[in-house]
Amino acid sequence: FRFKDSLAQDLQSADLVISHAGAGSCLETLEKGKPLIVVINDKLMDNHQLELAKQLHRDGYVLYCNCSTLVETLQSMDLSALKHFPPGQPEKFASFLDKVFGLQ
Amino acid sequence: TGGHTTEILRLLSCLSESYSPRHYVLADSDKMSEAKIRSFEQKKAETSFKSQFTLDRIPRSREVRQSWISSVVTTLYSILYSLPLTYKRKPDLILCNGPGTCVPVCLSAFLLGLLRIKRTIIVYVESICRVETLSLSGKILYYFSDYFIVQWPDLKKKYPKSVYLGRIV
Repeated sequence: FRFKDSLAQDLQSADLVISHAGAGSCLETLEKGKPLIVVINDKLMDNHQLELAKQLHRDGYVLYCNCSTLVETLQSMDLSALKHFPPGQPEKFASFLDKVFGLQ
Repeated sequence: TGGHTTEILRLLSCLSESYSPRHYVLADSDKMSEAKIRSFEQKKAETSFKSQFTLDRIPRSREVRQSWISSVVTTLYSILYSLPLTYKRKPDLILCNGPGTCVPVCLSAFLLGLLRIKRTIIVYVESICRVETLSLSGKILYYFSDYFIVQWPDLKKKYPKSVYLGRIV
């Protein structure tokens, strides 16, 4: 398919996800606890999108490759080495704002 | 727009009822955010009595990769357009996270503050996508916001006046 309103169902039933470096795609996948291989588009090197993908890789949450090394990555990957991605904590933000406004 | 809306709704998810009424400002070209916002507010309405919200649209201040010079012109136009809206709503708090739309709204509020018409607290939360560099909105509003929140430690080092709370979305 080309476009769907939501990939949530497909993500839920997947065992492995291979995606571009878009933040939404990466985060949605990691939050569902699915192993993720991020494929970088070499021609878009100037794109700030890479920052998040690189950091997620550095922290051990995703595997990382480009189009030409994808096959090799799939053959040699060790998905068990990937760390579990902890969810963000909006409650910390709420606490912070409450302090700003004296609302604790 | 898109990712920004999802992030901001997550930021709002844990806020208490004191943060009401909520006034959402969208770019006129944004088709998808309205549905997400209405769905979020509907859920909020199920669990609290005070839920009130409004939705306003302003012209988009800048297209992706728009030239610098024309961006200044369109942003100035957007600031002028936002002034009556900000004056009408007189918010106590402006919360934003980076789409071009937020710059004119924040600057108009900043202006109303300078003119002693209304003092608004401006809180900017840089997107989780920004690990090493700030967005253009961030670079501008770093100087105009009361609290500038970043979600990765590298940015805290580069922008010492920022607040680092870890990942909050």
